[in-house]
Amino acid sequence: MEDAWIKFGQTVICGILLGGMYSLIAIGMTLIMGVMKIVNLAHGALVMVGMYVVYICATNYGIDPYIGMFIAMPVLFFLGCLIQKYMINRLVEVDSILPENQVLLTVGIMLVLTEGIRLFFKSDYRSVVTSYSSDTLYIGAMSISVPLVIGFIIAMAFTFLLHMFLTKSDLGKSIRATAQDRDAAIFMGVNSSKITMITFGLGAALAAAGGSLLLPLFYLFPDVGHLFTAKSFIITILGGLGSTWGAAIGGLVIGLSESLGATYISMGYKDVVGLVMFILVLLFLPGGIRSLVKR
Amino acid sequence: MLRVTNIDVAYKDVQVLWDVTFEVNQGEFVALLGANGAGKTTTLNAISGLLKVKKGSIEFLGKDITQLPGYKIAELGIIHVPEGRRLFPEMTVRENLEMGSLFPEAKAKRKDTMKKIFEQFPILEEKQYKEAGTLSGGQQQMLALGRGLMALPKLLILDEPSLGLAPVLVTQIFEQIKEINNEGVTVLQVEQNVVQTLKMCHRAYVLENGKIYTQGTGEKLLNDEHIKQAYLGI
Repeated sequence: MEDAWIKFGQTVICGILLGGMYSLIAIGMTLIMGVMKIVNLAHGALVMVGMYVVYICATNYGIDPYIGMFIAMPVLFFLGCLIQKYMINRLVEVDSILPENQVLLTVGIMLVLTEGIRLFFKSDYRSVVTSYSSDTLYIGAMSISVPLVIGFIIAMAFTFLLHMFLTKSDLGKSIRATAQDRDAAIFMGVNSSKITMITFGLGAALAAAGGSLLLPLFYLFPDVGHLFTAKSFIITILGGLGSTWGAAIGGLVIGLSESLGATYISMGYKDVVGLVMFILVLLFLPGGIRSLVKR
Repeated sequence: MLRVTNIDVAYKDVQVLWDVTFEVNQGEFVALLGANGAGKTTTLNAISGLLKVKKGSIEFLGKDITQLPGYKIAELGIIHVPEGRRLFPEMTVRENLEMGSLFPEAKAKRKDTMKKIFEQFPILEEKQYKEAGTLSGGQQQMLALGRGLMALPKLLILDEPSLGLAPVLVTQIFEQIKEINNEGVTVLQVEQNVVQTLKMCHRAYVLENGKIYTQGTGEKLLNDEHIKQAYLGI
């Protein structure tokens, strides 16, 4: 009996901790979705590139992953800005039959990033080992891995900082205003194309942050991005499209359900739980968590 | 102050404005009237840079603004309060007002301007921490006006501020606009509410099928036979 509770508690805590990091990645996706009205299917690939940046810093220069993160974020911010300005934006300006063209382009970008990385790093599974990688923390009889705890704390700190940025600064408010009504924002003097570029960069930087935090926990290989695209897509749908808070909570829910699935169903089926939730949400709560809070 | 000269505007292949010419002088209250689909909103969108002009030019304070992007036009002091208010529904009343004052000059006076707006529209102060989407139609229009004023505009462009409001609210909003104009802000207003607008404005232009049909003082147009027939139903 006692053991069963310990197992349950440990599963729940690990799930929530992991979910916090998923949230961070998904918030990046939802920001981009809010402002650009497109699903960025290259998001996971950006996470993956961010992870490789941290990996290079760690293996070649001996930089700790949690410090490497602060190198990966600006690199990915810059990459995101370039991708938005010189690739996706070109399609925004052109009238096309398919508005989905932008989404298709992000698939292309995803493929290029994935195969580009494969060219340099091959498909080998890699991991970053640090002195604390296998450290555990004990809460009563429950053991929690230290990188999970650190990752969660940093992820929550970033979520909080982002929240402050979006609600307190003029730039952050301009991002929200552009997401809510682009034309009205232009009338107020917001340079919407600049805002769009910055938002994409910011989304990419958040993807890199999330990826860096997950690096001590996941194997790294070029295709790992698909996993994150799928997860953050599920989380954004679960949270309600374009809702930052929805994505934060959605991430925790997905982390928790994966963890429960892995413990009580089977390790191999943990991703199925998320996908099943995805379908259930689309069927029964199409507006996501956000629609529960609203009215 | 604003000089629109022979502009043609088209949505893709469909031309909406033909050779439209008019001007607004410093301190004036000018109305742009016309039926649905006459091209009023299109004209305003062309001025504020949302639509590209095919031919002709738009000058503001002696500067050619025809090719400027929308946000730069706003920076010059042309503030457009769009049709249907177009607030930021998930931002609070206060945040909406703050969004109006992004430019350094307006930002420096943000607090003072907001205080003045709260004096003029006390309901906005009361609801300042409520989301804009939860306000009633009249309150939303006040907020839209307030948000425009936060930018300390030189020229305030109003697109159908009476849209969807109860008659008593329309009168109230119109009085507020008149007051704003009396305080020295030049106003260019598009309206379908012809009688009330003509009584209030200095001059008006009438658009029909994308062309300026006639122009004159409010009084003159109120007595124009064609206007009476077409817009006043007498």
